[in-house]
Amino acid sequence: MLRRFFSQAWLYFKGQQAIFSFEEFICFQTAIPLLTLIFYCVLASYSFNTANLTRWVVGNSFLLCVNTCIFSLGTTFTGERYYGRLRSIIAAPVHKLAVVLQRGFFPMLVSVATVLIGFLAGSLIFGVDFTGINLGLFLLITFIAMFAAAGFGLLLSIFGLVTDGIHFVLNLSTYVLMIFCGANFPIAQLPKAAQFISRIIPLTRSIEAANMLFEGVHMPELIRLVLGEALLGTANYLIGFLVIRVVERIAIQRATVDVF
Amino acid sequence: MKKLRVIWDTLKLQMKNSFVRPMFRFCLIANPIVNTVLIYEMFKNSGQENFTTYVILGAGLMGLWACICFSSAGDINRERYSGTLSLIFATPADFSTIIFGKILGNTILSLATLALSFLTAKILYNAPFQIASPGYLLLSLLATVVCFITISTVIAYLLTLSRKTQLYMNCIEIPIILACGFVFPVEILPAWVRPISYALSPTWAIKLMRMSIAGINNPAQYFTTFGILAGLTAIYVLLSSLLYQVIDRQVRIKATLEVS
Repeated sequence: MLRRFFSQAWLYFKGQQAIFSFEEFICFQTAIPLLTLIFYCVLASYSFNTANLTRWVVGNSFLLCVNTCIFSLGTTFTGERYYGRLRSIIAAPVHKLAVVLQRGFFPMLVSVATVLIGFLAGSLIFGVDFTGINLGLFLLITFIAMFAAAGFGLLLSIFGLVTDGIHFVLNLSTYVLMIFCGANFPIAQLPKAAQFISRIIPLTRSIEAANMLFEGVHMPELIRLVLGEALLGTANYLIGFLVIRVVERIAIQRATVDVF
Repeated sequence: MKKLRVIWDTLKLQMKNSFVRPMFRFCLIANPIVNTVLIYEMFKNSGQENFTTYVILGAGLMGLWACICFSSAGDINRERYSGTLSLIFATPADFSTIIFGKILGNTILSLATLALSFLTAKILYNAPFQIASPGYLLLSLLATVVCFITISTVIAYLLTLSRKTQLYMNCIEIPIILACGFVFPVEILPAWVRPISYALSPTWAIKLMRMSIAGINNPAQYFTTFGILAGLTAIYVLLSSLLYQVIDRQVRIKATLEVS
């Protein structure tokens, strides 16, 4: 059971990346996200007129996961339909939660690596001192953030079962994360209603927790943030699973698994 | 006259084709709106007097550039995918004329991003925005359109030879926004990056637009910048013409247009 889970997860991940050579994979997963991080940090240094870019390096490092967690995972079902596998997946006597989790596993690991590389490179470029922080806690926060972001990506991927505009949905969701997660400006600047959105999307709590490592740890608050993020991630997976069941039933009844 | 008709018909068809694609609609409508919100929030407490120029121009041009990356650059691949690339390549109407019509159509349609960015800043934030030299701005806008058409042509020709267009069009978006200083002056970039910025024509187009909005006190400075932009644009035109000849030759010898 466990072996099948990992072999399926690896096969799916390999299939998604097969088109890229190693250099292109590195370019897509590291170079472009890093340039994005540099862009937002330079913009922050100009707009906030500051040389201390710690908050932006941390926040935008976490946002680097969108390439994998949102775009790669978000196109899961659209891709399956395109390659003609969707019918087999729906009809297979396998638990759909396992199918959903398989797709999230390796992208989550890649995202963790991307975030750490982004954080290290961003720290070197913009002179962020991370020697004083608890690296174990930082790694834990990163893992939980990526777990939650991967869950969000999978939840979004379900839109691919009902619309041909999945890229619209994914791009818009990426901007929602960029605006509302507090990576580029304090969420306190937003109106109260908009701050509610910040609370129901992934990364907000993780970014707040990671920033806390630099500004002084208040343990009960840190635990609250990390647990909140973990709960949000779990909720995303569960909602994703339930919505798949509903969409699946409708698609089977209408015989429209392969069409929108 | 016949060429003009080909350009006109291609332009109309391209506008219709582009607008029905959800991704293009995202770049055209949603991208400038969300970018305006994000950049405005980043500049809101900057204390700079003229920051709305950076917000409106920056967000509008980011949307315009996204439209170019995900449409003008990707159209070759779309034609290849639809099986029509070889047909438009071999047609007596001339491939370069058709590509020009497509890019012109996309660029004209994409100018809406500037208007949308302005409207978003005005409606959501009541942002003050005054154009000190409207005549110069009109001239700058015209120069910007020509500049973006030429750079799009070079990119479209380069991507004709590759079938990994999707990867490359994702790779060119952020580096150009960063290097050309869409949302901040290029002078804040490190000294070693600036030669790259100055070799890219959009850098000068943006400078012209900013100067026109702020007001032209020194026409000599404006026309020097205009001259540099005109010189670079001429080099790009020459480059695209050379590229077309090389690609045309390679495609006919190798006969791999559809599989590149």
